[in-house]
Amino acid sequence: MIGQQLAGNLVNGFVLGGVYGMATMGLSLIFGVLKIVNVGHGAFIMVGAFITLWMFSSLGMSPVFALPVALITGMALGFLIFSTVLRRLIKAPELASLLATFAIGMLLEEIAKNLFGTEFRGYNWETGKLVLPMTVLPMSKIYAFAGSVAITVLMYFWFKKTRAGTAVRSVVEDSDGAQVCGVNVSWVYALSFAIGIGLTVLSGVLLTMFIPVGINPYMGGSYTLKAFVVAVLGGLASPYGAFFAGLAFGLIENGSYTVFAALPGVEPFALTRFISFVMLLVILLIKPTGLLGAK
Amino acid sequence: MALLQLENVTKRFGGLVAVNDVSLEVEDGESIAIVGSNGSGKTTLFNVISGVYLADEGRVVFKGKDITTLPPHTRAPLGIGRTFQIPRPFSSASVRENVAVGAMFGTLSGAISVDESLEVADRYIHLVGLTPHTDKEAGSLTPVEKKLMEIARSLAMRPKLLLMDEALAGMHPRDIDEMVAFLKRIKAEEGIAIIAMVEHIMRAVVGFAERVMVMHQGQKLVDAPTAEALRDPRVVEIYLGRPAEDETHARG
Amino acid sequence: MKAKHTKYLPLLPVSCAYFILFLIGKNVAGMWQLMAMLAFYCALGQAFNIFIGMTGYVDFGYVAFLGVGTYGMALSVSRLAGFPNLGLGVVVIGLILSFVMAGALSVAVGAVALRLRGAYFAIATVGVNEGFRYLIEGARIWGGAEGIIFSGQLTETLGRDTASSLSTFWADVMVMIVAVIAAVITVGYMRGRVGYALTALREDEDAAKVMGINVTKYKIIAFITSASLAGLLGACAWALKVMYVFPPEAFQIQYTIEAIIIVVLGGAGTLLGPVVGGLIYGLSKYWLAVVMPGFQLLIFAPIVIFIVVAFPEGVVGWVKRRAKGTAIQSYLL
Repeated sequence: MIGQQLAGNLVNGFVLGGVYGMATMGLSLIFGVLKIVNVGHGAFIMVGAFITLWMFSSLGMSPVFALPVALITGMALGFLIFSTVLRRLIKAPELASLLATFAIGMLLEEIAKNLFGTEFRGYNWETGKLVLPMTVLPMSKIYAFAGSVAITVLMYFWFKKTRAGTAVRSVVEDSDGAQVCGVNVSWVYALSFAIGIGLTVLSGVLLTMFIPVGINPYMGGSYTLKAFVVAVLGGLASPYGAFFAGLAFGLIENGSYTVFAALPGVEPFALTRFISFVMLLVILLIKPTGLLGAK
Repeated sequence: MALLQLENVTKRFGGLVAVNDVSLEVEDGESIAIVGSNGSGKTTLFNVISGVYLADEGRVVFKGKDITTLPPHTRAPLGIGRTFQIPRPFSSASVRENVAVGAMFGTLSGAISVDESLEVADRYIHLVGLTPHTDKEAGSLTPVEKKLMEIARSLAMRPKLLLMDEALAGMHPRDIDEMVAFLKRIKAEEGIAIIAMVEHIMRAVVGFAERVMVMHQGQKLVDAPTAEALRDPRVVEIYLGRPAEDETHARG
Repeated sequence: MKAKHTKYLPLLPVSCAYFILFLIGKNVAGMWQLMAMLAFYCALGQAFNIFIGMTGYVDFGYVAFLGVGTYGMALSVSRLAGFPNLGLGVVVIGLILSFVMAGALSVAVGAVALRLRGAYFAIATVGVNEGFRYLIEGARIWGGAEGIIFSGQLTETLGRDTASSLSTFWADVMVMIVAVIAAVITVGYMRGRVGYALTALREDEDAAKVMGINVTKYKIIAFITSASLAGLLGACAWALKVMYVFPPEAFQIQYTIEAIIIVVLGGAGTLLGPVVGGLIYGLSKYWLAVVMPGFQLLIFAPIVIFIVVAFPEGVVGWVKRRAKGTAIQSYLL
């Protein structure tokens, strides 16, 4: 009985993990290129979630249409934030960019709170189910997973094959060297930040496809922590390492939940959240550059 | 017993061997010039001696003690001081506070109070001629002033060995002469051994160094008394392009 | 050359500030709550500043230490209520317990996190407050998700009048005392070896190491000090005043946010900064609560961004720069 439950949860975890991984790509990209940790990461996921919600509830459009809207909104937001704030902090001490990204995330949350209030919202997107031997997966979750994989693959090719992607990779490797080779580093910074935010907002759409409830201005907080765990696990500067790390994290999260649920005297949900945090510390202790990362 | 002994020290970064089987002995009060092009391993060697990098092979022995695996902050109280090629001041603190840090955590660490450190700082600031700038923010100094402050800060540590990284780069020839005289005085008065990197500044090498060490691609090529080293055709060919006498006359 | 007696001069304006808050609160009707709140924010800023201001590292999970401190007091009162003749001793033990528990948590977190550099440290701390909260809820320790209500035990142990005056007056006075203690420690650190070491490592960690500074040791000193003071604040400003502790409330990120705003606004790394920042933030929040409740974060978020980009030294830092060479310089730290 527990075996089947475990298997079912693991499948769910795997699928969710793919989405987690995709949600962390933006974070890893921004750190890899700009060496800035976007502490407000979760707030941008929240933005994507609200875009999806609004388009579904007010415009009656399926979340699939929210994808491009989210990406474009995210990139525009990223360009705006970079050119007004972060551009000036590239040379500043680390503390400055940590505080600035934190405050930016906070600002987004407060704006959302004043626009939408603090209640938890959700939506219901019925698109059928996939029946597997160990569990039943709504098609929306499948789409979310497929979307995550597709975007990860697209980003992979973009990095490897396009001129812009190669320029970005060169800056990650060695920004001075890249500049000497004629790469416009400040433009790369702006583009990378914009894409990073765009991907993060996009992932908000995919996450709500997976979990269409609990949407509220402060939902980002828990995702920020998870994203950090995934990012550190996969190598903080490695965007595709993040994808595989996400899968691993999804499996561990759901697996431990099943185990805890079977134990008497503990709260499985809370304890699972605690485990994520412990994972983070353990990985940072052993290998801060990531267990799976290339660097 | 030599002050500093490097025994077959090797340091690698991935596939690159930055320092390759280098051995070296430095006696108390010696003055040595290290010469070598970019990538020859000089900076890495300094980093291994000061502990910023740990040697992959070989030993580093200071005052008879094996310090090969000791972290950098333990080497300073033992008596190893270091200046950097691009000065690294503590920008928001005053010149006085910067130099006092040297006194507080150097060889006198544990036996010196904050007030005493500030007094020692004043003395060394005076020595390098920065007294008018004592209370200024270190970040507001000119590059040359920052270099002087860096030297004062290292001297305030009362080291037995001072590693000077490109201390003279970018200086006017007149200033270089003054600096060389200053270093000779320090050496005599404080009894410090100095290893200085003085890339291509011959008047400094001739004026200051008793011994010259040449590094090339991570290896020690030449290690001899100055006059002898400058006559060595390998040194002349690699680094000067023309005979040593012409160099010093051209800059005169 | 600073003579001994001028070293501690900067404590004068700080102590005066707290004394004035106390006087206004005591003598002007209805003002005690506001003065107490202002004192709390100043104290929070001072304690937080000892770490963030002096090391340049930011601990995003800081509120965990306040939360643990709250638990310390709650546990002492609720578990020791049955012992005869302890009286106010339960409060004293509660304070000690808060201090020690917060310190212990900081040692546990610091042992891992402080070996990491800047950004990695910040990442490691992001989940500390949540992590600890979910540990309590998940493992169902210390009352689990339901928390601890100890108003009954407090009244029982101290008698109704003492318990009441404790939670409405003396707890706030204790907050002010903690604030002054934090100020004294700040000056002691800033003017002593610790301050020099921390300034050096904040400016350039690698150069500091080469100068002989054991950076990890000094980071830990600042971290534990800052955490233990937060523990005391949690015990005084939260536990004793509301007489219950509830995990989702005790570990809310809200307070880390406010601590950051206060320190950044006033000037990180200065003695007076957190006091000025606490006063500005506290008063703004109070006035906005009348006009536009819940809006203060919306207003302060862009202010923080602006300061970080344009005025990283904060209000007090800016004033110090202007006051260089004037008579008031020795009062500003």
